Amino acid sequence: MLFGIPDPQILIGYGLAIVLALACIVYGLLNWNKGGSNDGS
Amino acid sequence: MAVNPVTMTALVLIYLAATLIIGYLGYKKTKNAEDYLVAGRDSHPVIIALSYGATFISTSAIIGFGGAAASMGMGLIWLTVLNIGLGILLAFVLFGKKTREIGQRLSAVTFPDLMCKIYKSPLLQYIAGFIIVISMPLYTAAILIGGARFIEPTLGIPYSTSLIMFAIITAIYVVFGGLIAVMYTDAFQGTIMLIGMVVLLAMTLVVVGGFTAGTAALTNMSNLVPKALADQGMIGWTSMPVLGSPMWFTLVTTIVMGVGIGVLAQPQLVVRFMTAKNDRALNRAVLVGGPFILMMTGVAFTVGALSNVYFYNTTGKIALDAAGGNVDSIIPLFINGSMPDLFVVIFMLTLLAAAMSTLSALYHAMGTALVCDLWGRGKACALSMRANQCGIVLMMVVSTILAFLLPISIIARATAMFMGLCACAFLPAFAIGVYAKAPSTKAALCSMVTGAVIWFVWTAFFHAAEAKPLGLCQAIFGKVTLLGSPWTAINPLVIALPLSLVVMVLIQWQSGKQQPAAIAA
Repeated sequence: MLFGIPDPQILIGYGLAIVLALACIVYGLLNWNKGGSNDGS
Repeated sequence: MAVNPVTMTALVLIYLAATLIIGYLGYKKTKNAEDYLVAGRDSHPVIIALSYGATFISTSAIIGFGGAAASMGMGLIWLTVLNIGLGILLAFVLFGKKTREIGQRLSAVTFPDLMCKIYKSPLLQYIAGFIIVISMPLYTAAILIGGARFIEPTLGIPYSTSLIMFAIITAIYVVFGGLIAVMYTDAFQGTIMLIGMVVLLAMTLVVVGGFTAGTAALTNMSNLVPKALADQGMIGWTSMPVLGSPMWFTLVTTIVMGVGIGVLAQPQLVVRFMTAKNDRALNRAVLVGGPFILMMTGVAFTVGALSNVYFYNTTGKIALDAAGGNVDSIIPLFINGSMPDLFVVIFMLTLLAAAMSTLSALYHAMGTALVCDLWGRGKACALSMRANQCGIVLMMVVSTILAFLLPISIIARATAMFMGLCACAFLPAFAIGVYAKAPSTKAALCSMVTGAVIWFVWTAFFHAAEAKPLGLCQAIFGKVTLLGSPWTAINPLVIALPLSLVVMVLIQWQSGKQQPAAIAA
């Protein structure tokens, strides 16, 4: 029983939520300066 | 009420004054209809992210779904997974950039207007506008109820007065400042929400003795699951319900999928993409959006579930029993009972901010749908600021009246209903419309109508949670639902969205290359 939670489905849910939030940070940093010129015109 | 009313009132007044000042700054920057409707298409990435996040997260997410987590357990964390994965990453990266580019190129100012211009179909704009004007007041009313329910015990203001004041104060800056004022205040309110949720998590962990100690205590309480919930498939608060049980279907199809997928095609959120100047702004917004959502729903669901430990330790009851069976009262009761006075004030402001940021976006989306997409569609008057202001006021009044008519414990369900309908009606047509080179108008029309009609039929005649209170099936067929278990627990989205998607794909495929390229040129 990890972190007091017996059901792996709950643990996976918490793990994925944190990983996805980190993925958002990584995506934002990697693409920080990309797409600056395409103003749609 | 333990909180010093003078301190509380002073802080709320300071918050309201700051909100109105920021709204005024937005009003001063609003020079034309494009500013009023799409914030001049030049919003800062952080403003976009916080506005999107604060609009996304309302009192429904914190009070309604936090309460649902207290009742159903930590399985709601899967909604957070979809909120971040679909609601931020997929929404911004796959749909956001295309929406921004097409919206800018075709000068679209609302979501139905975008659909109309992509598909070159005024009828599509009328249908989308109609669905928004009919369904969005339900979600708006749920948010008003959530806010007023917390203001009532905390500030000692009668429920009806709280609700009306709440509605009017929010409407003031939306009416005058348009989307710039809405997004500026959203960003301010999003910052307050972030602070409030960080403190809420920290304080809750202190109350239950840390995360692992709290979850372990919660696991040990599994023998306290009420018989009615155990019969529905609930095992405990730290486990998913039994696979295929009624509660499993409710959790997975209504809460996780209904809300998690529904967020992808919400008109008030799609408009946020059209406020970005370029893709860079959206890339940067993703960085802020993901962690923001984690701190909102992830914290609300964790705290909701852990509140059972607090209630059991202090009253010998589980959260649902301590709140008298009203799911929507659990989080307010937990905060008021377990937190120091100062935090009750901070959380009060957090909830006000959450509710006002979502409310303001909904007022704006409903009002502009009524004026730009229905009443004045295709006419110059549709872009008149005065006309849109009238539309916003009218929809605010309708939503407030509806809030007085809805039953208790409605917050989470009304939110899920609205988001489910949005997904079924709009998502396939929106997703294919922004990507297809020659999007088929017929496909979009059929998909939108199929999605909305099937969603309604399933809601009124099959899904027990809505069919029972609506009473339509009972009146026509003499029984609560047309089919028995497990169909009664399956959310309308699970049935209507695939059908809507199949209709869209089949007709789009059939139309093939014969369809003129609507978005070329």
